[in-house]
Amino acid sequence: MIAALLLLIPFVGALALLLLRPAQARPIALAATLASLAVVLYAWATFTGGAITHLDLAWADAWGLRLTMGHDGVGLLLLLLTGVVFPFIVAAGYGQPEDRPATFNALLLFTQSFLYGVFLAQNAVLFYIFYELTLIPVFLLLLYWGGEHRRSITMRFFIYTLLGGLALLFGIVYLLVQNGGNGDFAALAAMDLPAGTQQWLFWALFLAFAIKLPIFPFHGWQPETYHMAPLQGTMVLGAVMLKMGLYGVYRLVLPVVPAGTAYWQDTVIVLALIGAVYGGVIAFRQSDLKRLVAYSSLSHVGLLCAGLFAGNAYGIGGSLYQAFAHAILVLCMFYIVGAVQERTGTTDLRAMGGLKNAAPRLAALYLLVVVNAVALPLTQSFVGEWLMFAGLWQVKGWYAFLGLTTIVLGAIYVFYAYQQVMLGPGRDGPAAADASMRDHLVLVPLIAITLLLGVWPGPVLDLVDGPVLQLLSGLTAP
Amino acid sequence: MSALVLLSVVGVLLLYLGLFNQRASLAVTGVVGLAGAIIVIAAGWHLESPLFGAIVRFDGPARAFSLLMAGATVLLFLFGVDYYARMQRNVAEQYALMLFSLIGGILIVSFSNLVMLFLGIEVLSIPLYILAGGKRDSFRSGEAAFKYFVQGSYASGFLLMGLALVYGATGSFDLATIGSWSTDPAHGHDAIFLLGLLLTLAGLAFKLAAVPFHFWSPDVYEGSPTLITAFMSTVVKTGAFAAFHRLITALQLPDAVGTMLLTLTVLTLFLGNVVALRQTQFKRLMAYSSIAHTGFLLLALLGGDARSGDVLFYYLTAYTLATVGLFIILTLAKRAAQGDEHIRIFRGLFREQPWVAVAALLMLLSLAGIPFTAGFVAKYRVFLLGLSSGHLFTTLFAVAMALLGIYYYALVIREAFAPREQEGGTLAVAPLNLLVITLCGVGVVALAVWPVALP
Repeated sequence: MIAALLLLIPFVGALALLLLRPAQARPIALAATLASLAVVLYAWATFTGGAITHLDLAWADAWGLRLTMGHDGVGLLLLLLTGVVFPFIVAAGYGQPEDRPATFNALLLFTQSFLYGVFLAQNAVLFYIFYELTLIPVFLLLLYWGGEHRRSITMRFFIYTLLGGLALLFGIVYLLVQNGGNGDFAALAAMDLPAGTQQWLFWALFLAFAIKLPIFPFHGWQPETYHMAPLQGTMVLGAVMLKMGLYGVYRLVLPVVPAGTAYWQDTVIVLALIGAVYGGVIAFRQSDLKRLVAYSSLSHVGLLCAGLFAGNAYGIGGSLYQAFAHAILVLCMFYIVGAVQERTGTTDLRAMGGLKNAAPRLAALYLLVVVNAVALPLTQSFVGEWLMFAGLWQVKGWYAFLGLTTIVLGAIYVFYAYQQVMLGPGRDGPAAADASMRDHLVLVPLIAITLLLGVWPGPVLDLVDGPVLQLLSGLTAP
Repeated sequence: MSALVLLSVVGVLLLYLGLFNQRASLAVTGVVGLAGAIIVIAAGWHLESPLFGAIVRFDGPARAFSLLMAGATVLLFLFGVDYYARMQRNVAEQYALMLFSLIGGILIVSFSNLVMLFLGIEVLSIPLYILAGGKRDSFRSGEAAFKYFVQGSYASGFLLMGLALVYGATGSFDLATIGSWSTDPAHGHDAIFLLGLLLTLAGLAFKLAAVPFHFWSPDVYEGSPTLITAFMSTVVKTGAFAAFHRLITALQLPDAVGTMLLTLTVLTLFLGNVVALRQTQFKRLMAYSSIAHTGFLLLALLGGDARSGDVLFYYLTAYTLATVGLFIILTLAKRAAQGDEHIRIFRGLFREQPWVAVAALLMLLSLAGIPFTAGFVAKYRVFLLGLSSGHLFTTLFAVAMALLGIYYYALVIREAFAPREQEGGTLAVAPLNLLVITLCGVGVVALAVWPVALP
C-alpha cells in the first residue's frame, strides 16, 4: 500500500499537470509532494526495524523481473530524503522565471516517482528500470530549461550516465544468468561467486554508480551540467540523484561482490579522496558561485564514497547518514545561489559584494547554512563526517588525514564565497530586497533539520545501524 | 489456407476497385480484408495445419509472425489513406502489391519445405521491386527500385544455388527430413551440405540486411516512398527473420555455420551502429538503425535456444511499432519542411504538437532501449539470451554498441524537443495518422508492461 501510494501520488500528480495544464501548476505540485511526504513520514513512524516487503507480485518471472517492493532502514532513510527534499525543490521554483510551469513541475514529479521506485525496488531488474527511468525527465528538464550550451552538455551528461547504465545492465544480466534467473536482492547477496569473476564484475556494477556520484575520474559531466541546469534541476541532481549512486553501491556492490570490493577497496578510496581534494581545490579557484557549489558537491561526494568503501560500521553508517545531511545542505546552498542571483542578477562572485547591508536576514540564514557546510560541531554534517573519518581511520590513518584536508579546503572556499557575496562595500544598482517570507519558509525548516539532527542524530542513525551491521556480518561470515 | 485465399482475393478486388476509380474504398477494403485474415489466423491459434501437401506448416510461431506482419500492414494501410491522398494514379496497385508481398511473407514464416521458402521469398520480393519505384517521376525512387532488383536477384541466385546444394547433399527439400539428416554425426562435415547452407543463409541475410549483405539497404530505404520504406523495414524484416529462425532451428548447424553467424552478428552490430552515428538524414539513419537492430536480433538467434523464437517475436513487435510510428511522423515533418529529410526538421515538434512529440519520444526511447519501453525489455532479453548461451564477449560488445545506438536516437530526441529557430511550415496531423501514432506510442509502453509470448 505504502509503496503504491509513494509511486502513484507524484505520478498521478504529474499526469494531471500534463493533461489538465492548470494555470497554477506549482501549488498542485507542492500538494502532491507534501502528500507523498506525509506517506513517507507515516512509514517512518510505523517502522520497527528489519526489512519490510510492501508488494510482491509476479510480473515476468521468465526473464527475472518480479514486482518486489519494500525497504529496510537504509531504504527508508533514502525514501525520507526523497520525500523531504522535493517539496522544497518545488517551493524553490516560486523564485524562478516561469516557463511552461505545468510541464516543468510534471517532470519534477515524474522524477520523484521514479526515485521512490529506485529506493523501493527489491529486485535488481526493477531497480535498474527505475534507475534509468529517472534519467528521462531530468534529460528533458536540462534540454528544455537549461542555460547556455545546454544541447551539448546535456548530451554529454546523457551519454556518460548511460555508459554506466549499460555496464550495470550487463552486470545485472550476468548475475541473473549465474543465479538461475532470480534477481531479488536477497538472493543476489546470497550468491557466492568466484573471486576472479568478482574482480571484473565489480567494475561492471560499480561504474554506473561511480559516474552517477561522480567520483574522480568519472566526473567529466558534472560541473558543467550542474552549472548549466536550471536551479531546480541542479537541486534534483545534487540532492537526490547522486544518492542513488551511494544506495546502489550499498545494495548491489558491497553485498553481491564482497571479494571484488575488498580487492578494489583501496583503489576506490584513493580515487574518491583524490576527487574530494581536487574538487575542493578547484572550488576555491572558481569565480562563479554556482560552479563553486558544484565543485564543492564533487568534493563532498568523494568523501561520501570513500566512507562507504571503508567497509566498516563507522564508514558505511557515516556515509549513509551524511547522504541525508548532504541532501539538505545541497538544497540550502543552491537555494542561496538562487536567492542571490535573484537579487544581484548574476552568479559571478567578482560582481557581488555588500549584500549583507541590504539583506541582513538573508545573510544570517546564509551564515547558518555555511556553518553546516563546514561541518561545525552540533550541525548535522559534523556527525556524518566524524563517523566517516573514524571509519577511514580504521582502514588507513592517512586516508582520514586526506579526508580532513577537504574540511579545511571546504572552510576556505565556503567562507570565501560568503565574504564575496555578503561582505565588503556594496555595489551600485537597485536596492536588493531582504529575505522574503518564501525564503524563510524554505530555509528555516531546512536549517532546523540540520541543527536538530546535529544535536540529536539518534533517530536517523538508528535506521542505518541495523542494516549496516547485518551487511557487515554477511560480509565476514563466509 | 483461408487467410491466404482471402488476402489474394482482396488483393485482386483492390485492383478492380482501382480500375473503376473507387479511391475512397481502397484502404477500407484492404483493412477489412486484413482484419478478416487476422481473425482467421488467430482463430486457429492452437491448431497446426499442414497445407499444399505439407510444404507449408501453419504452426504457433508461423501464426504469431503472420499476425504481426498483418497487423503492421493494417497500420500502414491506415497511414496510406493520408499518404496516397495526393497521388493521382495507380493507388490501388500500391495497396494490392503490398497485400501480395504480405502473402509471400506469410508463406516464408510458415514454410516446411525449402521450395516453399524460395517461392515465398520471390512472392515477397517481386511486388517490392515495383513498390520501391512507386514514385515514377522521381529519380531516386527509380534508382532504389533498380538497385533493389539487381541485388535482390543476386541474392535469389545465392539462395537457389544453396537450396540446390542442400538438396544434393540430403536428397530432400523437406525441412524435417533435412533436420534429421543433419543430426546424424556422420554428416557433420559434409562439404556440399555446408556450402549449400552457407549460400542459403547468405541469400536470406540479404533480406535481413545483415553486414556484409547490407549494401542495398541505405539507398533503397532512402529512395523508396516512405510508406514502402516502412513496409520493408517492418513486414519484410519480420518475415525474413522468422524464416531465418525457422530454418536454423530445424537443423543441426555445423560449426562453420555457427562461426559465420557469429561473424555476421559482430559485423552487423558494429557497422550498423557506427555508421548510424554519422547520419543526418533521418531515412538513412533509420536504414542504418535497422541494420543495427538486425545485429541485436542475430545475437538472439546465436544461442539456438528454445526461447529465441519468443525473444525474436517480442523484439520484432517492439521494433515494428516504433518504426511505423516514426516513419509516419517523418512523413508529416517532411511535408512541413518541403521535402527535407534532415533530422533538424523535427525541431520545434514539441511546441507545435506536444502529443506527437511525446509519442516520438517514447518510440525513439524504445528503439534506443531505455526502460520503460518495449525496446528495453527486448534488448534486455537478447542480452539475457546471449549470456545464458555463453556468448560473454559478443554480448558485452552488443552492450557497447547499444550505447552508440542511444546516442544517435538521443540526437533526434534533442531536435524534437528543441525550440524552432526559424519559422517553417506548420505540421498538420490528420486524425487517422494521429490514431496510428498514438497506437504505436502507447503500444511500445504497453508491450513493456504486458509481455507477450509465442504459443
